Amino acid sequence: MEGYAMLKWFEETDTNDPGILCSRLRLMRNWSEYPFPAKLDEAQSRELVERLEMGLKDIGELDQQKYDCTFIDEMKELDRKVLRERKVIHSAIMKKKTPTGLMLSKREDTGLILGGDDHIRLQLFARGNVLPALWKQANRYDDYINERFTYAFDPKYGFLTAFPTNVGTGLRASVFIHLPALSMGKRFVSAISDMGRFGISVKGLFGEGRDNFGALFEVSNQKTLGQTEREIVELVGKAALQLSKQENEVRLQVLEKHRAEREDEIYKSYGVLQYARRMTQKDALTFLSQILTGENDGLLKFAEPCSIFALMLGVQSANLQRLSKAPMGKEELEGARARYLQERLPKLKEAADGE
Amino acid sequence: MYGAKLAAWMGIGAKTKGMVNDMLCERCKIREANIQYTEVINGVRTEHHFCTQCAKEMDFGQYSAIFDGEFPLGKLLSGLLGIGEPVQKEEKIQQIVCPTCGTTYEEFVDNSRFGCADCYSVFDLLISDKMKQLQGSEQHTGKTPIYQNAAMESTSKGGEGKAYRTREEEVRALEIRLREAIRKEEYEVAAECRDKIKELKEENA
Repeated sequence: MEGYAMLKWFEETDTNDPGILCSRLRLMRNWSEYPFPAKLDEAQSRELVERLEMGLKDIGELDQQKYDCTFIDEMKELDRKVLRERKVIHSAIMKKKTPTGLMLSKREDTGLILGGDDHIRLQLFARGNVLPALWKQANRYDDYINERFTYAFDPKYGFLTAFPTNVGTGLRASVFIHLPALSMGKRFVSAISDMGRFGISVKGLFGEGRDNFGALFEVSNQKTLGQTEREIVELVGKAALQLSKQENEVRLQVLEKHRAEREDEIYKSYGVLQYARRMTQKDALTFLSQILTGENDGLLKFAEPCSIFALMLGVQSANLQRLSKAPMGKEELEGARARYLQERLPKLKEAADGE
Repeated sequence: MYGAKLAAWMGIGAKTKGMVNDMLCERCKIREANIQYTEVINGVRTEHHFCTQCAKEMDFGQYSAIFDGEFPLGKLLSGLLGIGEPVQKEEKIQQIVCPTCGTTYEEFVDNSRFGCADCYSVFDLLISDKMKQLQGSEQHTGKTPIYQNAAMESTSKGGEGKAYRTREEEVRALEIRLREAIRKEEYEVAAECRDKIKELKEENA
């Protein structure tokens, strides 16, 4: 879990389309030798996880990374929350009491949850809209695991999973996108529910509806059976691109008519992020979303590259708490959030040039 | 008149489940009535209660035969309704259990969660409609694992949806599906199941 020297995947800054934050690919697999995790007792779960970890201990040879192996159920609650905020694990796994293994690469871009809902849940992250490349990578991991552990597979239903919603390819492909303008529109809710007809689901990354501060959305496939992996990743990639294009069109229209107001809003947001002394999570996400928009629209330039997405992950409570030695109350946490942003937010280009 | 008779036999069915108690036969007035005969003629409904013996002596036309011997009412009833097993046994049938992990069909419905890989073949017939609804498909077209050993092949033998261990199991599964289809008034599905059950049973005999 340590090793802050190396950049995490979300701290990287070179993405072609900054409105598309990252791609995530998850692959659910089960080993044919055991029933699914929910049907295993404590001892069996431990045995399963240990055997899987033993068999996969050299998985780093695939990407030349070191992997940390831990038991999620033995971790401190705070550490589990940190991992959830960084999307390494989901809340159901965070609350699990039976032995559950985690193998996580140093960059946190590759993670394996062992003995969670399914025996193996492989998760890959990468910046940008790169699902086809991510699938290629996942496919290699998949074959590597399969060489050591025979999968529960059926010619009709494909890869067998604990939940019928994952059966078939066992593949969930997502793209995280930033939709500040589109999501303000009245028709947005009906538009994203319409995408369900094409087998696409769009969900707020930090909550539902108006509670999704920061306007980040996860676009992913609804169905896992009846389509090939390639079809799925292409469909999701296309849907994300389409949404992102529409977002940019709306923003361009707004800019043409209201450039001064937009600039004002964005620079005010930057000012608050840079100088506030206390910051709620809601405000932090809202203002970060503003400057992300401003940067993408070319209204605001940073003196050095900055991953605003990393800041959006970093301002969440458990991540902030983890940086502090002592436990913090609500007000202390808000103070810490403001300091966190001051320390990390780069200067603006024009200001830096003037110095 | 056929309608009236049918209603009568349905009434008898209800009776055998113990819905009418402590009532004397209206014909002999000695023995306990254990047959409820409901007559519906021109929309007027009348109920009669007889004992087995009197019922036997009375003229119920072609249905008299059912009062002979061991009362195979259940079978007659289910024959009329197109259901293979009497209603009382339904609870037992609902308990289709995966022999590998002990997951029951009810448990699966409650949690929408399988217990192990074998659940898929045990519940196959029961879930394929739901799977279609959920996934829009019931046939995997994606990747096939490259390292599959022979042992695995044999557990998923047959492949083309014929993973049932015995014909009996398949019939039981079809019967549940039939009942569910009738409940949901999906008569086309019900008819399909009925024909399939018949086919399987004939093959067995």
